[in-house]
Amino acid sequence: MRNMTVALDPALIVEDDVATQQRLARLLATAADSDTRIAVASSVAEAKAHIAGRTPAIALIDIGLPDGSGIDLIHWLRHRHPEAATVVISAWGNEEIVLAALQAGATGYLLKERDDVELQLALQSIQRGGAPIDPFVARRILTLLPAAQPAAAASDEGHALSERETEILRLVARGYSNREIAELTALSRFTIEGYTKAIYRKLAVGSRTAAVFEAKSRGLLR
Amino acid sequence: MLLALLALLAGCARQHPGASPTTRVQTLQHAEAAPSGWDATAPPVAGWVPVKLTDFWDKRWPRHNGVVWYRLHWNQADPNAPIGLLLDYVCLADEVWVNGSLLHRDPSLVEPLSRRWITPQYFVLDQPLLHAGENTLLVRVSGIAAYQPGLGVVRIGDPETVQAIYRKGMFWRFDIHLFNFAISAVLGVLFLMFWLLRRRETVFGWYALTTLLGAGYAWTFVTLSPWPFATTDGWESMNAALYVASTSTFCIFQLRFCEQRWQRTETALLLYSAASLLATLLAPHVMGPLRNVWALPMIVPNYAAIMLFLWYAIRTPRADLRVMAACMLVPALVSLADLLVYLQIASSSDYDIGAATTPLTLVGMGFAVAWRFSAAMRRVEGFNAELRHEVDVATTQLSETLSREHTLALSHTRIGERLNLVRDLHDGFGGSLLGAITSLEQSPPSPEATRTVATLKELRDDLRLVIDTTTREQDTDLAGLLAPLRHRWSQRLETAGIDSFWRFDGLDDCRLDAARSLDLLRFLQEALTNVLKHSGACRVDLLVRHAHEQLHAEVRDDGRGFDPANLASRGAGLASLHSRAARLGGRLAVQAAPGAGAALQLDCPAP
Repeated sequence: MRNMTVALDPALIVEDDVATQQRLARLLATAADSDTRIAVASSVAEAKAHIAGRTPAIALIDIGLPDGSGIDLIHWLRHRHPEAATVVISAWGNEEIVLAALQAGATGYLLKERDDVELQLALQSIQRGGAPIDPFVARRILTLLPAAQPAAAASDEGHALSERETEILRLVARGYSNREIAELTALSRFTIEGYTKAIYRKLAVGSRTAAVFEAKSRGLLR
Repeated sequence: MLLALLALLAGCARQHPGASPTTRVQTLQHAEAAPSGWDATAPPVAGWVPVKLTDFWDKRWPRHNGVVWYRLHWNQADPNAPIGLLLDYVCLADEVWVNGSLLHRDPSLVEPLSRRWITPQYFVLDQPLLHAGENTLLVRVSGIAAYQPGLGVVRIGDPETVQAIYRKGMFWRFDIHLFNFAISAVLGVLFLMFWLLRRRETVFGWYALTTLLGAGYAWTFVTLSPWPFATTDGWESMNAALYVASTSTFCIFQLRFCEQRWQRTETALLLYSAASLLATLLAPHVMGPLRNVWALPMIVPNYAAIMLFLWYAIRTPRADLRVMAACMLVPALVSLADLLVYLQIASSSDYDIGAATTPLTLVGMGFAVAWRFSAAMRRVEGFNAELRHEVDVATTQLSETLSREHTLALSHTRIGERLNLVRDLHDGFGGSLLGAITSLEQSPPSPEATRTVATLKELRDDLRLVIDTTTREQDTDLAGLLAPLRHRWSQRLETAGIDSFWRFDGLDDCRLDAARSLDLLRFLQEALTNVLKHSGACRVDLLVRHAHEQLHAEVRDDGRGFDPANLASRGAGLASLHSRAARLGGRLAVQAAPGAGAALQLDCPAP
């Protein structure tokens, strides 16, 4: 699962701001091939209509859409089309919104405030089957998910964090780069990106089991 | 004072044997007695028998209720010297005749009989009553067989001496009892008031009842008339019933004082008392003569209660109990002696020590009850003080809590306001900034657009820092605050092909205020921007260390370096860094030389 790559084609951008639409399309095209099929929807309804016609391999979804919340769309996609990878686009890194999206089932997030180069790296990471992560997200996950008991080593079961995952999250939370983490844990950076993705899945599972988080995140979405 | 009085009394008692000079006072013990009816006005002619005084006629004539005449003779050497005559004891009422002349007559010589036995009688005899040679004393005694009727010894002699004996007798047999009666009545009424005002203190109530019943009982020693009773039977049986009742309440009082409650015993005692009083009123002529049968057994519970109390007092170290026990022990022993006299087991004495010690018991009990009262008062006062103290403490705590909460609320409000401000910046200004960057980047590239984008990105980065420091200030230490910067810049530097090596030392749990944090972050960000834009370095080392209340930040690159003296090269950026260092209250050291990299070192205090 960790090494499962994500295709960036066909892609769906759900975003109501034209400039951002174009920017994301350009980034996607750069990250994948230039002939990538990129569809654009500017509302939840439009997105659902599009998905009914063709399920995208990846959907980049903005939060504040004219007719609803991107979080709901992510949730909907996760249950209707679990094969589609969802990435949330956050305007200005509001960590609660990012976390709510991850709990709803997003496998990654892109912060609009970041430079193109950084977003490209993130997309590449997603493509490789990983997921980018920031210190604040790591910190929040550490408080949200329970740490696994050392005895129960089955890290892939349940939503408790494995020791390794906890270690990685701690390092991320302290600002260590993937390169540094790779050096410290003797893992490859790609493996570390894979860990991140697994952690996000646990966050989504944990949220399902503990509906309170979801309720919380919905509450935060006003 | 009471003890002094008792000591005095004891002193009098010791003096007594020597103070009866036989030469000057003659004790007449031989007499003749003859019974007659209630109405006899003259002594009978026949039927005289010799008797030895003190004489109780019930032994001789067990059923004789009425009059017994006693006749005594003495020889008077000198009729010109007046003499004193003392009748020690007459029971119940009497007439006194000397040489055929009436000297004294009690108010009532038939029922209800005067109760003359309570006092001795004293007369001064002089001519013409007094004859030279033989003189005759005739005492007509009205009495009832059931109540120890008879005549005590008669003394004649020097009037002053005899009067002194009379006064002593009056004191011991009358005054002390009057005193007892008065003290009992006063204490009883006093504690009755206490109890009435404070019903919960039942000990007070029982003490008052005991004392008042005791006063009623003591009245028998001081009243000459059996009023309100029509007969001596009525009086005596009521008196015995009062004894029963007062003993019962005394027992209950003792139990209550020992904090005991013997429900059945108490009920039995009270029922017996009530029955005694009732029977007394209904059948005085039966109850009176039989009083020893039904009243005397009360001495058993009486002494039992005293013993119980003594036991309790020994086991409980309390001053009030000890005092009361001592005040009770002496009278108890004395009353035992009195009892023996009453039962005619031991010989009578002139002095009723029991009566003298009764006040001791009363005062002892009064002391103990008063002690209880004052102990309760002390408790209340202590409680008040404690309460006041606790209220003070609570008030202080409350005001501290309130002021703390107020401070906290203020600080929360301030933080909230700051967060709102930052959010507005974030949503409005930040959004526009990002929009501008995006659209400029999408416009056809031009040097001017590139420059503008770079500037806008710097603004964006700075805004990021402002937001980070403001929103995270509360929940993270310096290490946590630096983490986003480190994360973002290591990625950015990596993208630019620069290896970055970060070292944070001692930053866990180190906290700076928002403004200082922001200055530090800005310092690092500007230094890194310089490295990224101008140095052409392959490697940058960052160190932030907190030790000994000093913060040390260092950014060192292996780039092309510059001449610090030459403002034109990187002087403008350096000026800004210097001002940041100054704002942090620290100092910036620049080590740089063209071609040899650059190192910026910031040292500032960080308590």
